[in-house]
Amino acid sequence: MLAYAARRIPSALVVLFLASIAIFAVLRLTPGSPAVVLAGPDADPATIASITHELGLDLPLPEQYAIWLRGIVTGHMGQSYILGAPIATLIGRGLSNTAELTVAAVGLAIVIALVVGIVGATTGSRVLKTLVVTFTTVSFAVPTFISGVVLVLIFAVGLHVLPPGGHASFGSGPLTALRFLILPAVCLALPAAAVLARFLQTSLQHVLDEEYIRVARAKGLPWRQILVRHALPNAFPGVVTVLGIQFGQLLGGAVIVEAIFAWPGLGQLILQSFVSRDYLLVQDLVLLSVTVFIVMQTLTDLAHAALDPRLRLER
Amino acid sequence: MMNRSTSGVRTTRAQMISLLGGAAVAGFVAPGTALAAPKRGGVVHMAQVADVIPSGLFGQNFPNTAVGGLIYNTLTAYDHRTLEPKPQLAKAWHVAPDGLSVTLDLRTDVKFHSGRPFTSADVIFCIKNIQDPARGSQLRSTAAVIGDASAAGPAQVKLRLEHPVSNLFDLFEIMFIVDRETLPDMLSGKNLIGTGAFTWKQWNPGDSLTLARNPNYWKPGRPYLDGVELRVIPQTQALLAALQAGQIEIALGLAPKDVAALRSNKSFQTLVSDTHGASFYVGCNVEVKPLDKPQVRQAISYAIDRERILKEVFSGLGVATSTPWPASSPAYDKGEAARYHYDPERAKALLKAAGAEKFETTLALNSGLGPGSPMAQIVQFNLQQVGITTTTASFDAAQFIKKLAGGTLPGLWVNVHGFGQLHPATLVTSAFPFAAAKNASNFQDPAYVAAVNRAWTATNERDQRAAYRQITEILLQNEFVIDCVLTSPSYVNVPALRDYTYNMFDYLNFEDASLG
Repeated sequence: MLAYAARRIPSALVVLFLASIAIFAVLRLTPGSPAVVLAGPDADPATIASITHELGLDLPLPEQYAIWLRGIVTGHMGQSYILGAPIATLIGRGLSNTAELTVAAVGLAIVIALVVGIVGATTGSRVLKTLVVTFTTVSFAVPTFISGVVLVLIFAVGLHVLPPGGHASFGSGPLTALRFLILPAVCLALPAAAVLARFLQTSLQHVLDEEYIRVARAKGLPWRQILVRHALPNAFPGVVTVLGIQFGQLLGGAVIVEAIFAWPGLGQLILQSFVSRDYLLVQDLVLLSVTVFIVMQTLTDLAHAALDPRLRLER
Repeated sequence: MMNRSTSGVRTTRAQMISLLGGAAVAGFVAPGTALAAPKRGGVVHMAQVADVIPSGLFGQNFPNTAVGGLIYNTLTAYDHRTLEPKPQLAKAWHVAPDGLSVTLDLRTDVKFHSGRPFTSADVIFCIKNIQDPARGSQLRSTAAVIGDASAAGPAQVKLRLEHPVSNLFDLFEIMFIVDRETLPDMLSGKNLIGTGAFTWKQWNPGDSLTLARNPNYWKPGRPYLDGVELRVIPQTQALLAALQAGQIEIALGLAPKDVAALRSNKSFQTLVSDTHGASFYVGCNVEVKPLDKPQVRQAISYAIDRERILKEVFSGLGVATSTPWPASSPAYDKGEAARYHYDPERAKALLKAAGAEKFETTLALNSGLGPGSPMAQIVQFNLQQVGITTTTASFDAAQFIKKLAGGTLPGLWVNVHGFGQLHPATLVTSAFPFAAAKNASNFQDPAYVAAVNRAWTATNERDQRAAYRQITEILLQNEFVIDCVLTSPSYVNVPALRDYTYNMFDYLNFEDASLG
């Protein structure tokens, strides 16, 4: 196993190194620089040149790359060209906020999907079935940039019961933090909940048609027991697979929701830093994403190898 | 020679703005509340679409105007109507008759937030700091004229100028007096120490900034507020929702259509700044044929429907004009401001005379500039009506500014410039689109260089006005910058917030502000 790991990890490091070169090169090939953003629209070329020099952006590209790589390896991610703040702090805060929003949205999506999916699969009422279909269709079809605005207009501007945007840490009071979290989490959760509910409903209906369920009913088992102990556990596997995919999509969708609700997450950070050509911050953010992906791939390979000894023998 | 005393200037100006009423300050202070005693305490929550950029505080860019004036003071502050400097940290000044030296008398009761007394050494440091090109100040050329700055005691600074300049007090209006001992902390956004009414408390980049009341502020009893919190809300719709939901007391940078809509809403008060410091224009690269012919550029100026742009893009919040000067500028001339008006037939005649009846060119725009795209659409339509076909090319802000600074924008472009609201010499020496030596349009004319130099160095009003007239004439004859609409920042606030002010560069000032 150790030999397999020893073979696998260096190749991951090589991929990471190549990715770092690609990230650096692509950004530097994109026209514009943080110096022109800092200088502003009325600046003359001399001012832009001075700021470029001050930021070290006039150094040869290989030297700039080496400085960046040395910083990464030694754990010094540097400071944002535009904001001036330490990049590690910016990323840490953005990551934590995005994770908070995504986890809340996933939790909410699961709860909604369970209720809607079970009702949709088990009810005999035409009205309820229509309501379920309407809910899942609308939630899935309406984009978050519309549902977000509608939620704000109703609950913040109209009813004044929730803030229209922003973020409060749980340190400032759990209730305050929750009030800021509810609207963006609901907005992000709705499309995912619709997909999960549809899958759960279909899967559950299929399971409920199985013979062992009919046998259980014929034996006189309570309906709740049949549902909870026999039907749902057999309906979940497919839904869990979809949930995994939805989690990834939620992270992507968070960029739009963060913008609507002024949620200071990673999506906002990436967007703003790219627009202002905040090279170091964009490089670090993209490299972080690539690293997470490569680490997950490597861990998966190692886990597969642990479970299947034949893989360890492959070269 | 000028000599000024200190008595209550800021209070007077705050009251003046609140009492002016009229178009510029409509609804700023509700009738009946202007004379009520200000209430002490409370925190103002404000929001804007972009975060502050601490390292850019020496440059003159939008995101920083909201907080710079809260943390820092400047040496002087202009009267908005007369552009006459009034005391701030400099309580009096003396300009030598030959214009080659200036003596500043400083306040002696001012302390930085760190507790250190403010002295002449701080002024000298700040001037040298602004002279550093890396600080990105557009007033660097004016600061560079100060050949020597020396202290005559802790409360007096003597400046020796390389040549007389007419816009020295623009520098004093804009230059923040920063703590020389903590400049690196300021540039990194760690801690900003000034002498202003509020102190830097906590900054969460991209999210919020908290300022606290400066208990040792040099103006007795001020500020009334306990603090200010700035929130960053990148979407203007979300910004509007935050205001309507009562989450913030003042919104900066709302879309013009939202500001116009809120003007009739009694729950809010709208203040359109009287500075008119942002001019939306169409630039011409005079190296691109047939834009090299002045007649063609004049034709374009006649072809543009400025009133329509003002109405449809800016919801009427501004002034249609063909010169860069607002009415408060000594260079302003009502007749010249209206010289180019919408006249497609005249445009066609000029194009025919220039032998360019039909041609194609590129219209570039900065995608980061909100009104840029709708304005470009109107310009494109207007030009099509007179036979000029344009292809739009959209660049993001970073690309656009790089091309602008390099003079490589193809054909025409839509953009915004500042500085018209200050001394006229500042616009033509500090705003790159107008710079005489090298500009974004690649326009060169020895007569323009000479006129700019005269305007910059003239020491008496008569010579200055003659130079302004000449500059305006050259600008209007050559139309390498086709000014269209002068606009100002808009502030929308709840009625409870009152008596906030701003300087001629729209630095917000809350030292007299209170929450009712």
